[in-house]
Formats: sequence, C-alpha cells, structure tokens
Amino acid sequence: MGLEPFETVVAAHHGEIYRYLLRMTWRSSDADDLSQETFLRAYRAWDALDAGANVRAWLFTIATNLARNYFRSEGRRRRAYAGVSDVRTDVDPASPEEERRFHETRALVERVVDGLPLKQRAAFVLRKLHDLEYEAIGRSLECSPESARAHVFQALKKIRHGLNGHELPMMESVR
Amino acid sequence: MTAKSPSCRAIEVDLVATATGEAEPRSAERVQHHMNTCARCRDEFGRYRAVDHVARGLHVTPVPDALAQSRAGLESRLADLKQRRLAYRIFPSPLGHILVGRTEHGIALVEYLHAGTSLRASRLARTEGVEAVAGGPELERLQRDLMDYLAGRRRDLGWPLDWRLATSDFARAVLKTTAAIPYGAVASYAGVARRIGKPSAVRAVAQALRWNPLPIVVPCHRVIGTSGRLTGYAGNKVGLKQQLLAVEGVQLHAARRDFTIARERMYALGEGETEYCLPTCGSMGTRSLAELTLFASRADAESGGFAPCTSCRPDLHPLV
Repeated sequence: MGLEPFETVVAAHHGEIYRYLLRMTWRSSDADDLSQETFLRAYRAWDALDAGANVRAWLFTIATNLARNYFRSEGRRRRAYAGVSDVRTDVDPASPEEERRFHETRALVERVVDGLPLKQRAAFVLRKLHDLEYEAIGRSLECSPESARAHVFQALKKIRHGLNGHELPMMESVR
Repeated sequence: MTAKSPSCRAIEVDLVATATGEAEPRSAERVQHHMNTCARCRDEFGRYRAVDHVARGLHVTPVPDALAQSRAGLESRLADLKQRRLAYRIFPSPLGHILVGRTEHGIALVEYLHAGTSLRASRLARTEGVEAVAGGPELERLQRDLMDYLAGRRRDLGWPLDWRLATSDFARAVLKTTAAIPYGAVASYAGVARRIGKPSAVRAVAQALRWNPLPIVVPCHRVIGTSGRLTGYAGNKVGLKQQLLAVEGVQLHAARRDFTIARERMYALGEGETEYCLPTCGSMGTRSLAELTLFASRADAESGGFAPCTSCRPDLHPLV
C-alpha cells in the first residue's frame, strides 16, 4: 500500500481516539467497541485514502460519525458525571485551596459540557481537548468550518453561563 | 443584572476568541482596546480564560489496562480482517473488463467480468469469507503489467500469488502444474493429468482449470485438447483463449466454432526429455499430445532451458 503501514496508524492514534470516545460516551466498553470499529473502518478504506490526507483528522471524522450513530440509534442519554465509575479524570496540581476550586469548577464545566447538544459537545471536545482545526471538525460534523467555530463558541458561552455566581480559579490577571 | 451595551455585544465573539486564544491579532487589539474602558468585559474575559483553561484539562484517563486491552482486541480483529481482505481493481482490456484482486499474500484473483463492470458481476460478490475492498493506486501497477502482457510487451507477470481461492489440493496441484507451462508453449489436459500423477483425471483437470481463479497468470489458455483443439476457456470464451495464444505467437487454424493449433508449425518436446525437435523428427508428428509440450518458437523452447535435438537439428533448419 502506498502509504505508511496501517500498524503505525494504530500505534500512533488508537490511544487518542479511545480517549476521545471515552470522553464522549463515558463508558469503557463503548470506547472499546467504537474505537475498534473506527480503526476497522479506517483499515477498509485505507487504500483508497489520498496520499496527502490528514490521517489523524480522518480518524476523528470516522470516530465522530460512529459516536453520533451510537447516540442516535441507541437513544442513549449521556450519564451524569457523578454517577460514572469507570473513568478517572486528570488532576492539575496547584495549591490546596486553588486545587479545590479548580476541581469544583471542573466538575461544573464537566456537567455543562455533558449536557450540550451532541454537535456542540463534539465540536468543543475536538477543539479544546484534541486541538483539531475547524476545517477537520466541520468535516467530522458535516458542517462548514464556520459552523464548527460557532458550535464551539456556543459551547463556551453555555459553560460560561453555567458558572454564573461561581468563584473561578485564579488566572494570571488581565493586562 | 443590567443589559450589555451595544459595543459589548458587538465585541463578544472577538472577546471569547481572544480569551480562548483563537483570535486574529487585530481582533485581539480591538478587544484589548475595549477592555481598557470596560470593567465588565474585563471580568468576562477573565472568566472565559478560566473556562478555557479548565476545559483544556478535561481529559479523561482510562482505567488501567482498559486501553491496552482495547488495543490488543483491535489488533487481533485487524489481523483477522487482513487475512480475509482482498483489494480489487476493475479495468477494461482487449479481453473485456477484468478484475484483479490482491491480498496481503499476493494476487488471489483475476476474473473476466462477463456480466457487468462492477463488483456485483464478480464471483467475489458470492464468495464467503472474503472482504472485498476497492483498491488504491498500488493496483494500477497490476493493471499496467497486465496490459503490457496482453500487448505482448511482457512475457512474465512475476506476481506473487495467493492460491487460497483454489478450493482443493487437487485444484492447486493442477494450477501449479499449469503455471509451469512456459510462455509460447501448449500442453494438453491429459498431459497435465499425467504430470500431477493422475493420468485418468483428465475431466477433473479441465474442471479445475475452468474454475482457475488466476487466468492469464496461471496460463490455463496454454492447455488444450489432445486433438489439438482449444476445446474451452472460461466457460465458453474460446475466443479469448485464441487471442491469448496469438499474443504468444502460437499459430492456429480456425476450426468449426473452435481453433486447432498449427502443430506442424510448432517445435515439440517429449515428456521428460531435454531436447526439443522439429515436428517432423522421428515419430513426433504422430505422438499423442498427452506426452508433448509444443513451442511456438525456438526462443520459447530455449528460454525453458531446452536444447535443440542433435538429430533433427532445429537450430540448423528452423521452421519458417
């Protein structure tokens, strides 16, 4: 095959795609199924992929499609963050007081993010957690890059409003 | 809470973009300028920065081993898929549309598509356990090779082969024996049956070749009846057989709804012998084709490693 061997693609991207799907579904078993399915589909289409294609963005597109089908066909409600047992979240160390505040904020943000409409949530996660270009996010969500940007903007606004009245962790002050 | 002023509303998108590190420099300047006089937007800016900071840290960590297990599961499913995967390409040729399929082991299928030009016309559509996928650019080379071969620009395809679509050991033995018949040569069904040690299985040999998954590459067109007639090819496509033999320089006489090889214009090699003869040498002209391989040219015989007969001397009296 004209491109790199598919094994290198698995090695380079499986972990990230798995985490993305875990972030979207909150269940290890679903992240497992959907991430495997993502790569099996990718493998089937691998030969037909353009040599210059952005493989990583393409994998996220497949994964996002699968995640959307998952939510659509199963009619599954995403579960509340608090009730999830098979996921740990990373800890950002800071002073105890700051850390407590950070975790509180984080839990709030988490809750808002999980309540977002699917497209906004996916756009937000792809942009903020995986640093995908809006072009690629648009392809994943079958919309224009401008719409993808708008989804992220709406998500940020909702999160921001979800934090009304909440004391936020200290950030370096504005000039 | 009082309503935002129009200027605050106008700058909101840029403010969020700036606070989250996504703004163009000029928008960022505008936002900065606005915030110099607007404490409320300064506060908003700080909040959005905090939101962005927290959001970027929302990564989840899989439970120990879950990721590794998922990866292992994926690799085993991929290995299975790889085993079954066949990438194909369909293209027009002087012999009609042809499908070429390759697996990770080699070329597994060459097929004349009589009934259409898509995968649906192929036996792949009815073959269990094969995962057929449209091939990419690497199959273009196979197409070029085959077109060169059909135009007589290439004598040997040199492709690695995957024999798995040959369904039995018997069929595989027939195909491998047939694959050893050199370019520009013909042998008979009975001859192939003898070579695989089953001299009475002539019809079974013909059946195995009828289902040859690798025509052209495994040159079943070089196998003919002991009468010298072509007798059959790919079902009822004896015309294709004639075309393929003509490319190799084998001369034929048209017979009723068939062709007969021009035996009098071919060099002959007896079974187990190392010297090839003129068709007029000794009893060559009357020996059964079950025991002979015939060559269209001296060069074809000699590239098979055979020497000219020292009594009839085809090297001194070549056929014209």
